[in-house]
Amino acid sequence: MVFLGPGLLLLFLFVIFPAVQTLFLSFQNKDGFAGLTNFVNLFRDEAIWNPARFPTKVPPWGALLHNLVWVCIHLPLTVGLGLVLAVVFAKAPRWVGFARSALFLGIVTPMIVGGVIIRYLFEAHSGIIPQILGALGVPKPWSSGWMAYPETALLGLILGSIWLWVGFSMILHSAGLSSIDPELFEAAQIDGASEWAQFWYITVPLLRPVTIVVAVLTLFWELKIFDIVYVATMGGPGRASTVLALEMYFAGFRALDPYRASAIATLITVVSVPLGYWFAVRRLRA
Amino acid sequence: MRGWMLVLVGLIGFSAFCAESLVVIGPWSGAEAEPFLAVLKAFTEKTGVPVEYRVMRAEDIATVFPAQFAAGLTPGDLVFGWGWWIKEFAGHMVDLSSEIAGIPFVTEPIIVEGKAVGVPYVTWVKPGFWYRKSFFAAHNLQAPTNWTDFISLLERIETIPGVEKAAASGDGVGWPLSDMTEHFLLTFGGLDLFMGLIEGKVKWESPEVRAIFENYLLPFLGHASEPIEWTAALDMWWDGKYGIYFMGNWITGMVEDPNDLGVFTLPGCKAVVGGTDYMFIPKYSKRVEDARKLLAFLISKEGVALRVSKGGKLSMRADVGPENYPPAEAALAQAVGALTIAPDMDDTIGGDWQRAFWDQLKLLWVKPEALDDVLRILDQLHPAAKG
Repeated sequence: MVFLGPGLLLLFLFVIFPAVQTLFLSFQNKDGFAGLTNFVNLFRDEAIWNPARFPTKVPPWGALLHNLVWVCIHLPLTVGLGLVLAVVFAKAPRWVGFARSALFLGIVTPMIVGGVIIRYLFEAHSGIIPQILGALGVPKPWSSGWMAYPETALLGLILGSIWLWVGFSMILHSAGLSSIDPELFEAAQIDGASEWAQFWYITVPLLRPVTIVVAVLTLFWELKIFDIVYVATMGGPGRASTVLALEMYFAGFRALDPYRASAIATLITVVSVPLGYWFAVRRLRA
Repeated sequence: MRGWMLVLVGLIGFSAFCAESLVVIGPWSGAEAEPFLAVLKAFTEKTGVPVEYRVMRAEDIATVFPAQFAAGLTPGDLVFGWGWWIKEFAGHMVDLSSEIAGIPFVTEPIIVEGKAVGVPYVTWVKPGFWYRKSFFAAHNLQAPTNWTDFISLLERIETIPGVEKAAASGDGVGWPLSDMTEHFLLTFGGLDLFMGLIEGKVKWESPEVRAIFENYLLPFLGHASEPIEWTAALDMWWDGKYGIYFMGNWITGMVEDPNDLGVFTLPGCKAVVGGTDYMFIPKYSKRVEDARKLLAFLISKEGVALRVSKGGKLSMRADVGPENYPPAEAALAQAVGALTIAPDMDDTIGGDWQRAFWDQLKLLWVKPEALDDVLRILDQLHPAAKG
């Protein structure tokens, strides 16, 4: 206990106390106890929840739905791509290490810098993506500045962030691959198993614990995403790419409303915890 | 003896190395910051007080400082911020009444409960659309005298080879778009309507405001580029990809040849937006007296004359006149002299509305058909509607 004491004290001061304080504030307003009012107001606010436009009209769909769209696109692509790249690089010649380093660069790049890169990657005049699409004859807004248009801003952020995060998934899967006994693959080859069969029946099942960890951490990253969006679009245009953490920031530091900001923080936690629990505990047991 | 001398020299050198600089935090960087850095250098030469300048946008100051204030700390000794924000946090700032006493300000200091907490530092105006005289002369273009002329000018510019759109639209967090919108509102709605919008007495969805957007701003947007990062837009406009560019007068300090600059307001305009950058000294500064000295120098006749002579800003003192300005600023001062100066709308309202205004205009620029939604949201989020 003596050894645990300092750590527990720091944990209490910097994690537990602020979390409890935030929870407390989310049920308050400037006049005192407000019950669930802050949460009801969040779901009445189209900046947070605007399902009437989803999916038939262009964004904004509300920050909560934007986060969920982020999860639906970004999670399978980064986890899946990371797994495939890990397998490909494990079998590729040594010089391919350069490509692996380039991919890993995304994860060591500060996200603020990543946001700037994404912004310029999709910029109308200097961005490579609009330039390529323009050369192929693709119409606006796809061949124009993606961050300027509501149709493309959210998707541009999500696609751009795949490079920033896929290195994480690739490295963890690479570490997992190195722990699989090579004899399993040799036995499969002797039995005539194809490359695909080896991947599907040996690699994927044995990497499952790693994949779940990657998926859980990626999910949390997506639900608290802030810096990339702040730098690249500030949630715009017209809230078309806003996310929960950004709305929390605007409530806290622009509207100077700590109660609404705390309610959004609590909402992020409420969304994250069950999903994280489901992934981490139930899937692992299964 | 020689040994003692060496020790003495070493000690002086060490103390100079350890001398803590006065930290000034302001929003300007690159070419925009250079004129201000020259003033800080003059202060150091005069007083011997070293000054370190750090760049932080007003948006970031609004984010970082509240938590610092709560802890009784400050990252800077003299800081530039938004007026509305300084009022909100006035309790954390030093009373500067003695420094501003007797100064003939053109723009008023921020006074809260009898204390001067925000002091204006030079002024800027957003006079209208800038053009290169050489570009206009080469293509036989002239500043418009009425709305039809203005639209014809835009159409003619777009026929020039190499021009992408007639007007460049600067972007960043969104303020260049709001500047342009405010200019349209002032020109076609007048000062009363403009002030009514600021105070929340006039609704954005009202027919008269909607008409300004529908009849003037939206037709103009057909000739404007999509929002481009504002310094990049400046370069592209200067290189001839666009013919005109709406910007504040600080543009004169950011181009290669300010004498090639011309500017015109929208035809019929009787008022333009003008304003100032406010300075404050946090009461948690450990160098309050030095910060006071610097502030006093910055707002002195000498300090202001030095700053305005570098271009990009106008004087906020009535007793520092156009004779101190470089030619481009002197011409500008003469041009806007007959116009009424209106406060910057989004800086005055501030808070989350300011951010929403910028964001909604970014949407309007690429989706003019979203006009109704944009006006509705601006009404919904106005502090007057929230009570």
